[in-house]
Amino acid sequence: MVTQSQAPDVVRVGRVGKTVRVLVAVAGIGLLINGSVRASDDAWPFGPMSQYAMSVPDDARIDYTRVSAVTDAGTTVDVPLNIEGAGVARAEIEARAGEIVKDPSLLQQVADGWARKHPDQPKYVKLELIRDTTQLVKGKVEGPPTSQVLATWEVRR
Amino acid sequence: MRVANWFTPVIALARIAWLRTILYLFVILDMHAFVRDTRDKGEHPGLYEPLLLARLLDLPKPSVANTTVLYVVLIVACLLGATNYFPRVAGWIVAPAFTWWVLIGMSDGKVDHDHLALVIALWVLPTVKAGSRGIASYGDQTRSEAAGWAIRCIQICVIATYFLSAVAKLRSAGWALTWPGSAVLTWAIVRRPHPVGEWLLHYPWVLHVMQWVGIIGEFCSPVILWLKGRWQLFGALFFVGFHAANTAILLIHFLPTVVCWLAFAPLERVVPWYRSRRAARSAASARSASAAGSDGDAREAEDQTEHGRQAEQQAGA
Repeated sequence: MVTQSQAPDVVRVGRVGKTVRVLVAVAGIGLLINGSVRASDDAWPFGPMSQYAMSVPDDARIDYTRVSAVTDAGTTVDVPLNIEGAGVARAEIEARAGEIVKDPSLLQQVADGWARKHPDQPKYVKLELIRDTTQLVKGKVEGPPTSQVLATWEVRR
Repeated sequence: MRVANWFTPVIALARIAWLRTILYLFVILDMHAFVRDTRDKGEHPGLYEPLLLARLLDLPKPSVANTTVLYVVLIVACLLGATNYFPRVAGWIVAPAFTWWVLIGMSDGKVDHDHLALVIALWVLPTVKAGSRGIASYGDQTRSEAAGWAIRCIQICVIATYFLSAVAKLRSAGWALTWPGSAVLTWAIVRRPHPVGEWLLHYPWVLHVMQWVGIIGEFCSPVILWLKGRWQLFGALFFVGFHAANTAILLIHFLPTVVCWLAFAPLERVVPWYRSRRAARSAASARSASAAGSDGDAREAEDQTEHGRQAEQQAGA
């Protein structure tokens, strides 16, 4: 049986230290609740945990935004929208789709990013922002997606 | 007072030492594998849209110079902190530096929700005064309320990540429970095509079951804070399984949150367990070496078992 004297030491915090710690924890919980109840992602790290939080109806149209490129080798390719590919993430393109439609020159950085990261590969000469739409019927995918070109950009050299 | 004590359980400093090493090394991994575009944003700040915290603190726009300095400072401070030599100095550098790193990484219109527990862990770890340094710290059985508070804060943030995501699901539907019966997983799979997920598209009812299990688990998650021993382990395993399923279906891993589950693990028992095992083994080999046996070794083995038992008594906190 372990007696108290043999037990490892216990280091306690002082009254002030404890009060401050409890208050900080309670304030943090308050900020988190506030974020979830009324704030937006802007309040990170105290924003709402809203990833995949929306209720998608059974007859939803599911949009998927991508960038297609014509290269100087004459091929048409899907631009890899990630850091290693064109240096821009798909989420960034999706979040800025409206702006890109208004100002297609924003696509220039996709071509620049690709050229910089892959100097030995065919360059992009023309970029298209495309939206693929999949239709749900009673919660199930109905047929292949339909595509719509939202913006076109002739790449500047 | 009982409520205040709940925030400051007594926990061995060894658990903090383990978490320092694991989390500071994880930050280095994170900077290269997860939030890995911060330096790219320094080169091309075109899409930079500072978040509230960056605006409040008036942080400078990312540039090649400041993101490179940030990178080097983080690597050096993380490596130093991971050794448990000067862990508080290193920790007070890592906390603001990594917060800024992630702030830049998420300032492009998309915010991920898997970094709450990790970022808060980095801010609370340096508040704990280390008893011993370096290797010795992994076995330090000195129990401390300061350590307990830091651990509790990390635990709360891990659980909050789940519970608050259930809250967000209610809120997005105008405070109604429509999420679990909706086509959200179908939507997610269509947008992140991947073989396992695409196969599941044929069975929407399976996806609905997964949504119900997910949201019920998220709502019940705070219970884990009060569970002990193996029940707490079951709770942790449920959520690790939840992430494994998410990774299989959607390639969303949430590793920055998963690693923080270690705040629930009695890591302080690792060294006593290892010592007693080694002592038992050497005692056994000594016994078989000479029929007479060596009393000294056997007694040492008993001492070690006693140590192990002491450590066990504080587990589950």
